[in-house]
Amino acid sequence: MTFQIDSGIDLPGQELGLVSKMPAVENNGKVSRDDRKTVGDITHADPRMTCRDVHVWYGDKHALNDVDLDIGKNEVIAMIGPSGCGKSTFIRCLNRMNDSIDGCRVSGDLIMDGQDIYDRKMDVVLLRAMVGMVFQKPNPFPKSIFENVAYGPRIHGLAAAKTDIEEIVVTSLQKAGLWDEVKDYLDQPGTGLSGGQQQRLCIARAIAVNPEVVLMDEPCSALDPIATARIEELIDELREHYTIAIVTHSMQQAARVSQRTAYFHLGDLIEVGETDQIFTNPKHQLTEDYITGRFG
Amino acid sequence: MSTTALIFTLVLLAGFSFWLGRKRSFAVVNGDAWKLHSLPNYYGYYTAIWCGIPALMITAMWLFFENTIITHLVVVDLPEEIRSLSPDRLNLVVNDIRNLVSGNIVSSDVDPAMRAAADHYIHLQAISQAALTVLVLAIAISGALLALRAIRQEKRARNAVERIVMIFLLASSTIAIFTTLGIVLSVLFEAIRFFETVPLTSFLFGLEWSPQMAIREDQVGSSGAFGAIPLFAGTLLISFIAMLVAVPIGLLSAIYLAEYASKRVRAMAKPLLEILAGIPTVVYGFFAALTVAPFIRDSGGLLGLDVSSESALAAGLVMGIMIIPFVSSLSDDVINAVPQAMRDGSEGLGATKSETIKKVIIPAALPGIVGGILLAVSRAIGETMIVVMAAGLSANLTANPLEAVTTVTVQIVTLLVGDQEFDSPKTLAAFALGLLLFVVTLILNIIALHVVRKYREQYE
Ligand SMILES: Nc1ncnc2c1ncn2[C@@H]1O[C@H](COP(=O)(O)OP(=O)(O)OP(=O)(O)O)[C@@H](O)[C@H]1O
Ligand SMILES: [Mg+2]
Repeated sequence: MTFQIDSGIDLPGQELGLVSKMPAVENNGKVSRDDRKTVGDITHADPRMTCRDVHVWYGDKHALNDVDLDIGKNEVIAMIGPSGCGKSTFIRCLNRMNDSIDGCRVSGDLIMDGQDIYDRKMDVVLLRAMVGMVFQKPNPFPKSIFENVAYGPRIHGLAAAKTDIEEIVVTSLQKAGLWDEVKDYLDQPGTGLSGGQQQRLCIARAIAVNPEVVLMDEPCSALDPIATARIEELIDELREHYTIAIVTHSMQQAARVSQRTAYFHLGDLIEVGETDQIFTNPKHQLTEDYITGRFG
Repeated sequence: MSTTALIFTLVLLAGFSFWLGRKRSFAVVNGDAWKLHSLPNYYGYYTAIWCGIPALMITAMWLFFENTIITHLVVVDLPEEIRSLSPDRLNLVVNDIRNLVSGNIVSSDVDPAMRAAADHYIHLQAISQAALTVLVLAIAISGALLALRAIRQEKRARNAVERIVMIFLLASSTIAIFTTLGIVLSVLFEAIRFFETVPLTSFLFGLEWSPQMAIREDQVGSSGAFGAIPLFAGTLLISFIAMLVAVPIGLLSAIYLAEYASKRVRAMAKPLLEILAGIPTVVYGFFAALTVAPFIRDSGGLLGLDVSSESALAAGLVMGIMIIPFVSSLSDDVINAVPQAMRDGSEGLGATKSETIKKVIIPAALPGIVGGILLAVSRAIGETMIVVMAAGLSANLTANPLEAVTTVTVQIVTLLVGDQEFDSPKTLAAFALGLLLFVVTLILNIIALHVVRKYREQYE
């Protein structure tokens, strides 16, 4: 539904941008491989975070080059692209997880609620409470299942009484679709769960602090198809309350869970668009190459 | 040929047979080395091993038994009246003969029987040496020849060498184990002799330590009390003070180095800290005795406290500084071994660095840290030099760190320094103390190993 409304709004703008910015066109109508300016509409009608002119350097290495992108409220946006193209780098900018990497430098505007998140005055702790993250490899703490989920609420003082904590843990596990499987083992170590369960535990842990944006960096790459399907279902449900940015190497997954898709290539954001349009009718030759398997 | 020359010859022979074996391996395949089962070098090693190892083993055995056998032969040929002496006296005679042989006795009026025996000894030695030379060279050469004959295209020299390497490694570890066992057993037997004179209970539970035995009945003040409690109390007191210094400082600096320090600071600070471990303990000892102890006494005096010039506190403080690197280095390693994913997970939820350390890193690294601390404790318990110099020798049973105390290791040293009768309880007490100390440290090490092993299971 959302998709139809959005495409109605976006398509004309895209056409216009294309004609004015991109003269180099292949004979099949795609933008040529050599052109690295972003194709498609990077804006969103109701953005939660807006990124403009974002550059990232690791030491001398220019890992992300001039990325402009909006991340819309209650949308799932998928980042795809060949390995090393800067997908992780980009989403790690969104909650400043890059801060802990030696020699990493970020420039540009990353705005959330009218405030630049890289501003000196920004409280990183609060930012990360609002922008949660789920990692590629499930990384539950070597603590009990209960303590894993209660960790975030405890450090942020979200619960005054003991019963509040319990309530948060239960609802988070329910939202993450893990409650029925673990409700009798809450005191068992979280590291003892299966890989898929661990990843859902990490999702529960992330949503327990009640974030508004959830970043997921290849959350299913260590999981089997059944666990992957569960998590995809979960992402679809979470979209109601959260904004989700997901990095994935599976194009089927991107097609299944996301509304918009961003294609990165060697540090450049190549194309952004409705997921359907990106996968059926990409405008850039590099995107076409990637989704048809000619690259990466 | 002298033994040294013999061994040298053997090594040369082995080197030569390496070359022969290699060459032969080429010969059996007409130069097409790829047809061989193993690389040509392995055929060389194989031949060299067959040439050298059996011969060396025979040499070792020969040298081990040579003396006993020759002595026996010499004694058998001694005149009847000497042979019928008591074993103790006979031993003395044998010693005299040996001294004669090595030319240590030069006086002219030597008993002709002894002279004859000595000549006999020298004669036998010469025969033995010659026999050894012939035998060993024969074995080496025939070993090499046999190995050379065994070289075929399909000969699995590589596997044979592998097996011999394995046996060699096994032998080395066996030597280490048997040496330890030997030390433990000899301490154990001497300790048992000690417990024949002093009952085990009065050693383990006695509250007084004064090992001076009365030599004459009428001597006073030499009670010969062997209660180990004051010594272990002193050891524990000093170790406790040392850990009080080392654990917080070591752990906190490890946390700083592992979590906060930039790469450059870390690269500088870590080796600097480890220098602490390289300072000889005797240097710490006089630092404790000449600087720290007087300082503590003077500042205690200012506060109106009565501090003895040698105090447990001074020794403990300096010892604590000495073992900081044990705690910090090991803790640093285990903190670094905590996966980065744990930190990311915690910081991704909005935890600050110190919250992450307190709630995730330390609990995850705790077993390893405990292991490191226990190793440091065993080090503190075994430390002697600092205590000798800074804490004194008087075996006070006290918990007051401002008084002089002594420790087990220090007492072992004082018991054995100087001329002692070997089988007096005073000397044997050292073995009993050593045994007890060994048991205590062993238990600590077992606990430490156990904890460390448990830690490993978490991340593997
Ligand atoms: N910590 C780092 N230090 C230096 N360079 C880095 C670091 N992390 C990433 N890079 C470089 O930045 C570029 C982008 O890396 P990034 O991890 O964002 O890629 P990615 O798109 O997530 O790839 P993948 O699909 O393999 O996860 C790569 O060329 C990588 O070598
Ligand atoms: Mg990545």
